[in-house]
Amino acid sequence: MDVKLPQTLVGVGTLATGVMLVVGALSIKSDAGYSGVGPNFMPWVVGVALLACGAFLVYEAYSGGYRELEEPSGAQTGDWPGFVWVSAGILLNAALITTIGFILSCALCFVLAVRGFRSAEGRLDLRPRAWAVDFALGFAIAAPVYWMFTQLLAINLPGLTSTGWL
Amino acid sequence: MDILNQLLQGFATAGTPINLLWCLLGCTIGTAVGVLPGIGPATAVAMLLPITLKVDPTASMIFFAGIYYGAMYGGSTTSILLNTPGESGSMVTAMEGNKMAKAGRAGAALATSAIGSFVAGTIATVLVTFFAPVVAKYAIRLGPPEYFMLMVLAFCTVSAVLGKSTLRGLTALFVGLAMGLVGIDQISGQARYTAGVPELLDGLEVVLIAVGLFAVSEALYNVLYEGRTVETENPMSKVHMTREEWKRSWPAWLRATFIGFPFGTIPAGGSEIPTFLSYATEKKLSKHSAEFGTKGAIEGVAGPEAANNAAITATLIPLLTLGIPTSNTTAILLGAFQNYGIQPGPQLFDKNSGLVWALIASLYIGNVMLLILNLPLIGMWVKLLKIPKSYLYAGILIFATVGVYGMRQSAFDLVLLYAIGLLGVVMRRYDFPTAPVVVGMILGPLAEAQMRNALSIGEGNWSVFVQRPGSLVLLVIVVAVLVLPRVLKLLRRR
Repeated sequence: MDVKLPQTLVGVGTLATGVMLVVGALSIKSDAGYSGVGPNFMPWVVGVALLACGAFLVYEAYSGGYRELEEPSGAQTGDWPGFVWVSAGILLNAALITTIGFILSCALCFVLAVRGFRSAEGRLDLRPRAWAVDFALGFAIAAPVYWMFTQLLAINLPGLTSTGWL
Repeated sequence: MDILNQLLQGFATAGTPINLLWCLLGCTIGTAVGVLPGIGPATAVAMLLPITLKVDPTASMIFFAGIYYGAMYGGSTTSILLNTPGESGSMVTAMEGNKMAKAGRAGAALATSAIGSFVAGTIATVLVTFFAPVVAKYAIRLGPPEYFMLMVLAFCTVSAVLGKSTLRGLTALFVGLAMGLVGIDQISGQARYTAGVPELLDGLEVVLIAVGLFAVSEALYNVLYEGRTVETENPMSKVHMTREEWKRSWPAWLRATFIGFPFGTIPAGGSEIPTFLSYATEKKLSKHSAEFGTKGAIEGVAGPEAANNAAITATLIPLLTLGIPTSNTTAILLGAFQNYGIQPGPQLFDKNSGLVWALIASLYIGNVMLLILNLPLIGMWVKLLKIPKSYLYAGILIFATVGVYGMRQSAFDLVLLYAIGLLGVVMRRYDFPTAPVVVGMILGPLAEAQMRNALSIGEGNWSVFVQRPGSLVLLVIVVAVLVLPRVLKLLRRR
């Protein structure tokens, strides 16, 4: 029997989401009013539907793989070092944005993401000069965006200072 | 002529210097995101949704509409010059366009697609001008049961009919519906699936889901799997069409416009079907059928490009008159309306007629702007293709942060953004469509409200959906849409 492990996992993930929805639906009150269906009706429908979809996905994965699957583009296996760089960029940005401000945090995210893509292309450059150049570039992209939002549109973005410029 | 009067007033609103500037800005950004691989109109509009907090609705809708169809013009440039197709609507263009470009006729292909887009876009806008008010007039009679059935129809076509696998389409749809459930229930005011996190009471932001699924997942997918993919670019040539090429393009543009437009108006979303139909038609009718698939036939670019634009413009009819989005981008446009507390639907033409007509007028203006932006200035856009991938995607991440953080000022959202990005990578790797997620998430709460209102009318009795003739007809269509393709498949196999 031809079992596709990753596809099975995707099916199991769908099943788990369905279970979560159904468990959540149990704790929603069902004061139906005139309509006969209350706020817990759709959660039940969606939860049960996801359970069914998940079960079917697992079944397909166990019986020769997903039907009419288009071959995904790109490499067979993932480039995990590059992925870690980019992930670090995004998550550090989330962690630091309120403390060091939008511009610096985004410039940092930019530098790390560029490292990731370079590493995936097989030309990772860790020399200080490359870091500095990329940081400057990230700064040059983030700063005008920040000013446009804070100065022109008056939408709040966090800054290192409260001047609205950095 | 009531319609012409209102259209003229629309031109007066859209023609103010500030609104013209918004339109130009939208068209420029639209063309740029169309040209750039890895970012499309849905992502761009989503990232810029925070401006709805400050800019007035007319200006921002003109701006977003400019991005929406500007991206269609720009997308063809990329699909002709690069050997990797961008968004699905221009996949067909890429087939013949690439062949023409390889044979040194990139310029002619670019010209016929830009002029064809203009012709089709303008004719389609005229049709929208005259048909949308009529549709709205009839739509005003629809009650909750009919609305609910229309939405179910939209769900079915987006998830079950368009994709290759009904199962994966439905899974994506229900994931989207599940996302739409998070937050406070509109009717009873109960919190659902918030897990005690106060940020989740307002529900998940459209920006967050769209930017996560499209932009962040695109970046993560690329770094994971496309690092070694080398893109090749075709040589550029002078943008010019000979008399012979004009003669071959004209009929293709016109035929394609009338193929594309109806597909945009019905809740069947997407421009894949009309572009393929137009391609097949041109191939059949052409006197130069030997050129198809070999050195590239100009009709094969002219037709699908025009069909694409006509269909895209026509999607505004279900969006504006019924409030039903049939594609990723129109779903996000609906989100933009909602941010202003405006619910598109038949009443829109009464309550916000100023806004609607200014928007429609801006489509005429935008098409002219785009023709200018894309013919004489094409060289500028081609340069965008030279940006290294690392800078492009890293830059996109900065814009993603602005869009998501600017909407709600919450760092928690940025973590969620990453999680949605990961979900997008898995979906892309295993060939799950994304449009059902976005449409399900945005349309889901509306459909639920209509369903519960309909059941209130029927005093809790489900037969309300079959007793009213309108909703019964729609129900039959829904069943037909789901069953007929399968029956046909079975019959063909016999």
